[in-house]
Amino acid sequence: MSDGPVLQVEGLVKHFPIHGGLLQRQVGAVRAVDGVSFSIRRGETLGLVGESGCGKSTIGKVVLKLIEPTAGRIVLGGEDVTALKPGAMWPHRRRIQTIFQDPYSSMNPRLASGTIVGEPLENFGIARGAERDERVAQLFRRVGLRPEAMRKYAHEFSGGQRQRLGIAKALSVNPDVIVADEPVSALDVSVQAQVLNLLIDLQEEYGLAYLFISHDLAVMRHISHRIAVMYLGRIVELTDKRTLFTQPLHPYTEALLSAATAPDPKRRRKRKKIVQGDVPSPARPPPGCHFHTRCLYATAECRMTVPPLIEVAPGHHVACLRRPVGGDPGPLSIPG
Amino acid sequence: MSGSPNAILEVRDLHTQFSTLDGVVRAVDGVSFEVARGETLGIVGESGCGKSVTAMSILRLIPPETGRIASGSIRFEGEELTTLSEEQMKRLRGHRISMIFQEPMTSLNPVLTVGTQIAENVVRHLGVSWKAARERAFEMLDLVRIADARRRLDEYPHQLSGGMRQRVMIAMALSCDPQVLIADEPTTALDVTIQAQILDLMIELKEKTGTAIVLITHDLGVVAETTERVVVMYAGRKVEQATVDALFEEPLHPYTRGLMRAIPRLDVEADAAGTRPRLQEIPGLVPILTQPIVGCAFAPRCGFATERCRRERPPFVDAGAGHLVACWEIDSVRRVA
Repeated sequence: MSDGPVLQVEGLVKHFPIHGGLLQRQVGAVRAVDGVSFSIRRGETLGLVGESGCGKSTIGKVVLKLIEPTAGRIVLGGEDVTALKPGAMWPHRRRIQTIFQDPYSSMNPRLASGTIVGEPLENFGIARGAERDERVAQLFRRVGLRPEAMRKYAHEFSGGQRQRLGIAKALSVNPDVIVADEPVSALDVSVQAQVLNLLIDLQEEYGLAYLFISHDLAVMRHISHRIAVMYLGRIVELTDKRTLFTQPLHPYTEALLSAATAPDPKRRRKRKKIVQGDVPSPARPPPGCHFHTRCLYATAECRMTVPPLIEVAPGHHVACLRRPVGGDPGPLSIPG
Repeated sequence: MSGSPNAILEVRDLHTQFSTLDGVVRAVDGVSFEVARGETLGIVGESGCGKSVTAMSILRLIPPETGRIASGSIRFEGEELTTLSEEQMKRLRGHRISMIFQEPMTSLNPVLTVGTQIAENVVRHLGVSWKAARERAFEMLDLVRIADARRRLDEYPHQLSGGMRQRVMIAMALSCDPQVLIADEPTTALDVTIQAQILDLMIELKEKTGTAIVLITHDLGVVAETTERVVVMYAGRKVEQATVDALFEEPLHPYTRGLMRAIPRLDVEADAAGTRPRLQEIPGLVPILTQPIVGCAFAPRCGFATERCRRERPPFVDAGAGHLVACWEIDSVRRVA
């Protein structure tokens, strides 16, 4: 099992019902996640990148079993946990932990930070009393906080320090996987660097796997090994980071990379085409390829047929009808 | 020191302070800069550096219950703004100087159609008829490339997407042909592809209308791609000022250098093995602004700091071609690549 994926999801679907009318009957559904598959190995970071409403955060919540999937399978360390009820899920929760964008909102303001970080240790019956305190002190040191700070409350810490507390708490039960949802988005640049460096160090030290969710391509490129690009509930491209940034094949990936700003004034003069229009509503996604309404290269077929995610080159998966297996990886032509 | 004849807006030695339970917060602590006609000036810095308070001071929007412009001068087309009455300021805001914010939903009125809101501004400042103002609103929506502008005039803010709301804000801000547009984090809440659309639109409109833009942001990528000159702020003070090319070519203040090395770069190639280079951290925390800062505000976090840095506030030196930097150790900084 040690070489197998620590987390695997297959055909994951999550629909949120929309209720309407006098009787509040279900009148539709937001297809937040619409058939997503991926796996993560030990010591690996898989990045999920995409714009608001693409379903990346919903995937995080579903794999944590904070919400139930509509369909699909979640396999954690070789065991299928999809159908487990909360009680049966409990022992598995140790293996998968989470870090939030705003750790402050998840911390009890009346508890000392040492108690907050040590809570999982008690909950899972790992350590109590003096032993627990010793473990918490070690965790504080490991994430770069002074053990004396255990007595302080969450509001007495800066944003970056609170994120360190959140990381210490997630780390306390020795998980295999950490779901990190926009963990540095709320932080200033200088603090963001500290937290990213810490996450990378911890990964190398403990062999942690990260499911790293972010809208920020530069952060993504820095921390991820492989990246899945999402658009309206589906993965449109999945490959190693180097290939994604040097040879993107999906028109949406190309659009994202072209739209991202870089701290280089010379780059603006060579900025390419920018995709126009807004992301359609996930409650009423366009038929066929979801991206066809904004895609420069869309053909009549793209408006009708859902493109499957296929492996066009080793490890490089793309969901685009115009990118066949072994096809020319060069630029696409704009149809007549 | 009087400004160049080309300056439309001159801020001199601005001090803006807030009274809090913890003491007086020196949010802006002696900041000077000018904005030339038709230029795009970026003000960049991290949370709490005073960039937004500087903008609010220019528009005299500091809440009088807690804050005040303690000293300094703000001149717009030669006229001193700090001593104008509220009535006089009202005639200026949204007309000759206008502003857009990060979250358009909080600045738009939810119970009025966007057409009415834009027209209201036009009627108030230009004194034209409602009919003419509505026509102007249509022209503006069309100018900011809102598709089907005629129909959108009658829609409410909640019916529009985030990107479209920001376009409406820009349309409203430009509806009376302002000389200066202050944009405070205008794209921070938007998705990447929408941000690119809005930034391109702002630059295009600036070239068309000749409105000067003061762009306030924490995002060095946005600064690099849209501005011509940049002011870098730290702890309520300006620490560096240069053309955008010079600043990114050779940042001189240790803080600016630290910032640039702390950001993950999209345009820097990883090595073949895909090894993730370590980001350079800036050690320590920003100073607490309720305590007077002696010497250079960045000294406690700076690798170049000497005894003098901790004792005396560094003056600005011109490192060449108007590249200003407030650093005592500029020569040692320059020796390190």
